[in-house]
Amino acid sequence: MTVGTTPVRSVGSAQRGRAGSFGPIRPHWRWVEMRLLLIAALALVVGSISLSGALTGGLTLYDAQTLLTYLAALAAGHVALVLAGRRADQILLPVMGLLGGISLLLMQRLPQDLVTQHWFDMSVGLAQVQLVWLVLGITITSILGIVVRSDSWLRRYKYTWAAAGVGLLLLTFVLGAEVNGQRLTLQVGPFSGQPSEFLKVILVVFLAGYLSENRSLLMEQDTRLGPLRLPPFPYLAPMVVMWAIALGIVVIQRDLGAALLFFGVFLAMVYVATGRVSLVVIGLVLFVLGSLLMANLFDHVRQRIDVWLDPFADPLGAGYQVVQGLHAFARGGLFGTGLGAGLPTIGGRIPIPEVHTDFPLAALGEELGIIGILAILGLYLVLVERGLRIGAAAADDFRALLAVGLALVVGIQAFIIAAGNLKVLPLTGVTLPFISYGGSSILANSIVVGLLLALSDKGVEPPPRPSSGGRWQRLRQRDSI
Amino acid sequence: MDGLLLVLWVARLLFLLLLYVFLYRVVRTLLRDLRAAAREPTATLGRLVVVASPGSEPPAGHVFALQAITTLGRDVNNSIVVDDPFASTEHAVLTSRDGTWYIEDLGSTNGSHVNGQAVNGVATIGFGDELQIGQVRFRLERPRV
Repeated sequence: MTVGTTPVRSVGSAQRGRAGSFGPIRPHWRWVEMRLLLIAALALVVGSISLSGALTGGLTLYDAQTLLTYLAALAAGHVALVLAGRRADQILLPVMGLLGGISLLLMQRLPQDLVTQHWFDMSVGLAQVQLVWLVLGITITSILGIVVRSDSWLRRYKYTWAAAGVGLLLLTFVLGAEVNGQRLTLQVGPFSGQPSEFLKVILVVFLAGYLSENRSLLMEQDTRLGPLRLPPFPYLAPMVVMWAIALGIVVIQRDLGAALLFFGVFLAMVYVATGRVSLVVIGLVLFVLGSLLMANLFDHVRQRIDVWLDPFADPLGAGYQVVQGLHAFARGGLFGTGLGAGLPTIGGRIPIPEVHTDFPLAALGEELGIIGILAILGLYLVLVERGLRIGAAAADDFRALLAVGLALVVGIQAFIIAAGNLKVLPLTGVTLPFISYGGSSILANSIVVGLLLALSDKGVEPPPRPSSGGRWQRLRQRDSI
Repeated sequence: MDGLLLVLWVARLLFLLLLYVFLYRVVRTLLRDLRAAAREPTATLGRLVVVASPGSEPPAGHVFALQAITTLGRDVNNSIVVDDPFASTEHAVLTSRDGTWYIEDLGSTNGSHVNGQAVNGVATIGFGDELQIGQVRFRLERPRV
């Protein structure tokens, strides 16, 4: 019942903590993480030997330098986290590391001329470029996991973040380069990237802020619509706006995947915040209605849906990619052909177009079989579980929603593209987190894992005192009478 | 059978096996973590943390596990006794309904404040909000799961 500290000292230490002094930094061993990283490294070494045996006939590491660089980066990330001494989650880094390692093995195995970048007079192929992104990703994750000790920079400026996100979206609408009929890539000087990958992180931050502030209002049931009881009408407006933005992305950017991802994450977070199924049902009905309308109005949407329903109607034309993907899964069978032994080439090229970005799961399905695919899906499941646990242990609503949203954005994205490859959903061009080739995707997902690491620390700064006298609080008072 | 093919075949299956060894270790850690969390005595609805308290009861830093109906006041029969000269005998009551917390001021002399705003009748109070009873300030926190 009694606590030793006097109230005055207790308050004082809380304020000192807020002022930014964290006390001495003591290293804290992370045995679980170390053991898991060792198993992951062993698996990757065996995978590399298997790859080398199939491609060159020699039982050594395939392109040892690339793999060893990657493993060294993982080890460095681990050591940095140990030295920083924070009690952050120990599962996230190994899982991300294993997924990235599988990606590296796949990229080494694919034809290297799928991507060529020219850096300082050097011509760099697919695996080398991917290696650079993966190492950068591990660096970002470790730095975020060590440095971020307060979430107020996300919490306070949520409307600023939202404005930045909308600005990024508009910039892509206007300046974006068109690739394969989709306007997704933004090129600024020598850098090009897919803004939608970063947009998803911004969306989660904004939604966590908005929903945690207005949770109690969204839970009231004022408006009636037939059998459904809805929250007060003004607070439904953001839902309608979200829906419009999602459909806008489909129309202007022709990016079905991002629209599906954004709207899915939005519905999931609304459900987590309010626990009300009716809101999710309304959202889904709206989305299906919108999609049907789109399918009737726009050719590119209808084509995707036709291909999904029957890819074999035009196996050499529109359905080519999906059909080749399905064949790859079929050739893989239960145990797969082994790394490097599958994916026959036609004229030096893998038959599946865009295999490194859109269809990595099909390539892995052929070489690792359904057993390997299930393990990879299991890894994504573990990432989501960690996020949900971190959310459940959080001190306040903002952190809980942020952690859950960050985990779900990775999980839902993995689901959308895996389902697209397996013909469960229409194929959409989102990336498979940590496995697909692509800098934006890997960096954005690394930011997600880094934030989760930071949020999982029990010693993280307590939530700031909510500001008083905001508009929403006056509404709260008025409604409560 | 060719020696190389045999080794290749073993390496191929070993890679898959190691993926599952990794998953097994991860899942074992997750389960241990979940069991440890289940053993901890938990307040399933929410926690009230004393942020600042000039007197000795309740002490600053103390954490109260909340029941669905929690009364606050100076009287010893309250769930949380607030021994503060500015608190009333029966000051306020916190109730939880469908996962939302409500604060009701029981006609106290000096009022109850949420984030610095006086409470009239019943008001909702969210996790992370600050509640002031007399000179004692509390913060409502999510339950530890």
